[in-house]
Amino acid sequence: MVQIVISSKAGEGPAEWLLVELQGEVVSRQNTGLAGNLMGDLHYTKEGVPVLIVGHHILYGKQVKLEKPFAVLMKHSGLPRDEEETMETNQENPTSYTVSALIKKKLIFKTRPKPIITNVPKKV
Amino acid sequence: MVHDLLESFIVMSVFFISLIIRGDKDEHAVLCNEDETYDLKIADTSNLLLFVPGCKTPDQLPDISASPQLVHAQIWGFSNCYWELRRQRPRLKKLKKLLMENPYDGPAVGMQEEAPGPKYTMDDLLERIQASREEIEAHLQNVHACEIDGFWRILDFDYEMKLLGHVTQLVDSESWSFSKVPLSVCLEELGSLEPKSMIEHCLNCYGRRYSNEDGQVIYALDEDKVCRATAQLLLQNAVKFNLSEFQEVWQQSVPEGMSARLDQLRGLALLDRSSKPETISLLRIEDLPEDTLERFNSLFSLREKWTQDDIEPYIQDLCGEKQTTGALLTKHARSSVQNGVKVYNSRRPIAT
Repeated sequence: MVQIVISSKAGEGPAEWLLVELQGEVVSRQNTGLAGNLMGDLHYTKEGVPVLIVGHHILYGKQVKLEKPFAVLMKHSGLPRDEEETMETNQENPTSYTVSALIKKKLIFKTRPKPIITNVPKKV
Repeated sequence: MVHDLLESFIVMSVFFISLIIRGDKDEHAVLCNEDETYDLKIADTSNLLLFVPGCKTPDQLPDISASPQLVHAQIWGFSNCYWELRRQRPRLKKLKKLLMENPYDGPAVGMQEEAPGPKYTMDDLLERIQASREEIEAHLQNVHACEIDGFWRILDFDYEMKLLGHVTQLVDSESWSFSKVPLSVCLEELGSLEPKSMIEHCLNCYGRRYSNEDGQVIYALDEDKVCRATAQLLLQNAVKFNLSEFQEVWQQSVPEGMSARLDQLRGLALLDRSSKPETISLLRIEDLPEDTLERFNSLFSLREKWTQDDIEPYIQDLCGEKQTTGALLTKHARSSVQNGVKVYNSRRPIAT
């Protein structure tokens, strides 16, 4: 049997992250993948309403406290990368997880994105 | 399934001190803290979940009416699924099964060493049982296991009854009250027959330990536990007993002054009041399957229709948090009325 230990980093508690929840998918314009790209701008109105601008769309959302918080766990395999496939119970290099962060609230964007149309000057 | 866990994943969690995931290759993974066990189930969402470390919400941002600020925040990653924790009853049937591989039936005779056989320390058990430490410790107490030379051992039932017999015979010959059994005298008088640690273990299993005004350790024997064990000893020797005959023999077998009552046998024996004459047979809950569906199938193949009162002791442990046996029966059985009494039978055809 396997026993995998999940622990919190010693010292102060885990960091708090924010969850942003979107309906649908996010794709990159030229299909180059998402990594390293700018996704969009997050604004808050004076009333604290989150507003997300992605590409030429604008989405309005709201902040919600999570009923059941999430924990984000990072796996530590203890084995060198190429040996990960044959993971048996190996007491010298047991797999473990640490809690990287806790998530207690989220910004959820459920409304249909609205396209932002820039002002087209009238033909002279 | 444990090996399929994602590279980095999210669980819904409660606050914890230490968490451990346990499971064999072919078992579903469970998550344990010090005293609870949770099922790990993957949950899907059609929404996209983005994780943004350190991103602030309006309440965390200073109130600046001056120039707007631009803060760079990086999305650490995203996911469509996460793991959910659901509190569940720990899987402890394996514990007794492991200990029964090598029950203890007394110290080795003469110069001989005890016959070889598998033995488990607490760490060995934690490696094999999908439950938290405290749940394991509680179950070890329930099955009357004891630690001998660092290994947890379950007693062979006949040996356990032999020990109990020594104690009850001493109580009788000394004319003690059942609630005032002094430990020191027991150890002195019985120590030549059996190891003192075993005498004390027997008292711990069948009595409640306390101290009297003089600071002496005294035990109050538990009538229900003693009678129940005596019944098991009688019932395990035959398939079925004539109920009234059994009750007579049983009352004669328990220590004089104790009352043997049928309600002491819930979860241990099953009465058949429909047969003529009425009968009783051994049916122990620990001999039945642990899985809910399998348990119901097993019970319905033993008997087609059950009253709630008869089936209750055999399904009590299946109840989830805040679930009643009534709710379980509604879910897994079909009810009907027979001779004015509500009975339950299986929802599906069962081979009897």
